[in-house]
Amino acid sequence: MSGDFKLEKNGNANGKIFNGLNGHQPDLDKKAFQENFEPTPLHAAILTYLGYAIITVFGFIRDLMRKYHIEKLHAATEDPEMKDFVPLYASFESFYTRNMYNRIQDVFNRPVCSVPGATIDIVERKFSNSGWTSEYTGKVLKNVINLGSYNYLGFAENEGTCTEAAIVTAKKYGAGVCSSRQEIGNQDIHMKLEQTMADYLDVEACIIFGMGYATNSTNIPCLVDKSCLILSDGLNHASLVLGCRLSGATIRVFKHNDMEDLERKLSDGVVYGQPRTHRPWKKILIIVEGVYSMEGSIVNLPGVLALKKKYKAYLYLDEAHSIGALGDHGRGVTEYFGIHASEVDIMMGTFTKSFGAAGGYIAGNRALVEHLRAHSHSACYATSMSPPVCQQILTSLSIISGTEEGRNRIKQLAKNSKTFRQGLKKIGYIVYGNDDSPVVPTMIYLPCKIGAYGREMLQRGFAVVVVGFPATPIVESRVRFCMSAALTDEQIEKALKAAEDVARVLKLDYSADKSLSC
Amino acid sequence: MHTGTTNQVANPNTVVWNSPGIWITYLLTTGFMHLILLSMPWFTTSVSWTLTNVLHGVCMYFFLHTIKGTPFETSDQGKYRYSTHWEQIDSGTQFTAARKFFMTTPIVLYILASFYSMYDFTHFVVNTLVLLLSLLPKLPQLHGVRIFGINKY
Repeated sequence: MSGDFKLEKNGNANGKIFNGLNGHQPDLDKKAFQENFEPTPLHAAILTYLGYAIITVFGFIRDLMRKYHIEKLHAATEDPEMKDFVPLYASFESFYTRNMYNRIQDVFNRPVCSVPGATIDIVERKFSNSGWTSEYTGKVLKNVINLGSYNYLGFAENEGTCTEAAIVTAKKYGAGVCSSRQEIGNQDIHMKLEQTMADYLDVEACIIFGMGYATNSTNIPCLVDKSCLILSDGLNHASLVLGCRLSGATIRVFKHNDMEDLERKLSDGVVYGQPRTHRPWKKILIIVEGVYSMEGSIVNLPGVLALKKKYKAYLYLDEAHSIGALGDHGRGVTEYFGIHASEVDIMMGTFTKSFGAAGGYIAGNRALVEHLRAHSHSACYATSMSPPVCQQILTSLSIISGTEEGRNRIKQLAKNSKTFRQGLKKIGYIVYGNDDSPVVPTMIYLPCKIGAYGREMLQRGFAVVVVGFPATPIVESRVRFCMSAALTDEQIEKALKAAEDVARVLKLDYSADKSLSC
Repeated sequence: MHTGTTNQVANPNTVVWNSPGIWITYLLTTGFMHLILLSMPWFTTSVSWTLTNVLHGVCMYFFLHTIKGTPFETSDQGKYRYSTHWEQIDSGTQFTAARKFFMTTPIVLYILASFYSMYDFTHFVVNTLVLLLSLLPKLPQLHGVRIFGINKY
């Protein structure tokens, strides 16, 4: 019974395979690329810097008090017998954690104890000593509406066809594989998933890995080496940065989504070659992401492709957040722009966000995938994907690409993203990013409001993710909402009402243009 | 707030002085401190201006040239652990806009303090010493230099 689903090959009815568009190539320039990064209002910036300055001054005062034992130091300290040795760590490096992060710790690292669907159960904690000590109150906050999980198509569920199929597979294969792909861990379900994924993306072949982060960090070193040039977008994820560093190639960073900067760096790379010898680079690889989760922006794929063709570079597209979430059939950012997947050399993605599973894949032409099968660090040393997880992906893939339910999920996600974004803009929030992206980052700016926003929203029954410095630039602290197809229209309305209420309480309506309708 | 994404730069301290609005905030804070000193009845105008200059210089020396490293963990394997904040600005590139701004503010304050203290000799000595304290550590020739091993580790 497991894995017996039919995959509908899109666009195949008329005999033409073209990513769901039946042979019609839309006008790429006509698609309005609306990205929105409203500049920081001056008064908010000044107040933010003053806020950080006050926190820093008080931090210094309290550190002084802790040093002279006026205040109790709760952090771990080294053994006083070791004081003549070189210190293990510099206590200044944990200044920020001690004096700012710990004080609003109750909005981070919240323990959850349910499936992260449209609603989530949060274990309640009580903090004392300005954030140093905490204890469980014994209560669980049930059915908090979840606006923070990467659950784009709502597949994070513990009942339904996906779960039933996964249970059957677990009963057949067990949970563990106990080997790597190249040894004895290559199961028929892995090969089936790879074939299915390749058909879904309309590429020649695909290879899957057990962990999404490791897909990037273990495979980029197989593709480039030290005589290659990598042009990496400024906001690339830590996994891509680590993969680039591990490869030993020369890394040049171009400004986020800035095609002119990319063109300048590409032409410099081609014209000047390698640094000292001026020999030509063996390969130039442009690494971009489909949707950037911290900014909510979508890569300018037609622009990047035009540059790639002009300068004969390769393109690595990381669709961690866009596969399943963008495009009419969920095929990602290539379908969103109406581009065929074969134009992108290396398509990478993860199964963690839209498919409710774990792991990643790399898809492309057969030569690439066969090379990775033989040379990938992950295929050689890392355990392969667990079979119930593979089954979850197979089932969710068949739902997305074949059935009415899948189409409804995709439509609901697009509708939710649009409604939520428009609603927030009407309230007066500054919302970053592209209008179609399912990630909605909203600006908070002031450091004190970071903690306040998380707490206020939890009081009103919403779980949100707030991010501040140093994960974001110092002035741009934000709350990042992640839309989900599992959220119903009523829940979105309630969320907008709560957001409006909190905006009133915290004065978060910074937007200069309150009449934005898009 | 380590959310798994990296910042655009490995060490945010290097670019903080290019953020929008931070120069204005800096000037406003200095101006505000000056107003507080001016409003104290037991300080004459000359004394309050000189005190502004002195406080500004001493604070600047402490924050920019004494404290080393970063108040948060960076992902660049401790490259800047023994660098003062002045050396971290723009990753050590000299003559950038932020560095020029920091060179200019002590000079402007010195000129104003000299003017408002009517060029009195004692005030002149104090102001000049503070100016030297503010300007000398910022010279490109003294980048990374630790005289007599002071503040080395």
